[in-house]
Amino acid sequence: MRSDPDLAHAAAKGSEDAFAELVRRHQARVRGMARRLTGSSAQGDDIAQMTFLAAWQKIASYAGGTFSAWICAICWREFLQWRRRQKMEIEFDETAEIIPFDRPFDRSATDTETRMDLARALDSLTEAQRVCVVLCVAAGLSHREAAQVTGWPLGTVKSHVLRGVAQLRTCLANADVA
Amino acid sequence: MRDDETYGDLARLFAAEDAKLEAAPFTADVMKRVRRQAMIRRLTVGAFGFLGALIALLQLPELLSAFVGVDHTVISALDLARTEISQAATRNPMWLAIIIGAALSIAAVSMTERA
Repeated sequence: MRSDPDLAHAAAKGSEDAFAELVRRHQARVRGMARRLTGSSAQGDDIAQMTFLAAWQKIASYAGGTFSAWICAICWREFLQWRRRQKMEIEFDETAEIIPFDRPFDRSATDTETRMDLARALDSLTEAQRVCVVLCVAAGLSHREAAQVTGWPLGTVKSHVLRGVAQLRTCLANADVA
Repeated sequence: MRDDETYGDLARLFAAEDAKLEAAPFTADVMKRVRRQAMIRRLTVGAFGFLGALIALLQLPELLSAFVGVDHTVISALDLARTEISQAATRNPMWLAIIIGAALSIAAVSMTERA
């Protein structure tokens, strides 16, 4: 099986098949990350699509290293752009309903109890904790990679992950008891 | 200690949730947009290239006429040089020998350079 850097190299030379293989390999991670950051499966998938389109345009700039960290960094930037747009739309349309950023997960799209529990548990975290947990626990980035992606200090990321994981465990344990 | 050693169980829970996402339709959607984007780029580049070629084609007659002018200038300069060389040679044959020597030297240098 070809490695991610090999596929990225071939994609940079114009191979659509190589890029399709990269999308197949990393779509679950990126979609999961975007869905959890936005709290919506539809908007999450839109951001994931934009992420891969941006990745296709920038594939030549991928300079080796962990491909998942590279693609997650693009996803993070796409998410920030999306959030900026959301805020601008809300500010622009004064009559629109003010929707807080950390609104509950789109529960219509969930189909199992585990997903409900995980989504609910993530909702109980602060925004910074949720971002760090999504990047490090769900997307599988190292603390250092998450710090690079977000631009936050490494110590801050570590403490958010630690507290977020503790809070997640408490929520999931309570859900089990209930 | 690896970062995920303290939360491997949670990571597996998230991974199990992500594994349920269907890859094929999403990948097909992304690749459709990638191909559309590539086609738009090719069409844009092609259109601009065609426009450039068209403009160059329209300029061609003018360019050729200017080239004819240059051609005449070069030919007249060569004629003048030949006349002047022959005049110089008839006055003093040493000039002819110097010119032949210089020409042979230049030819030798250029041949050696190519090799």
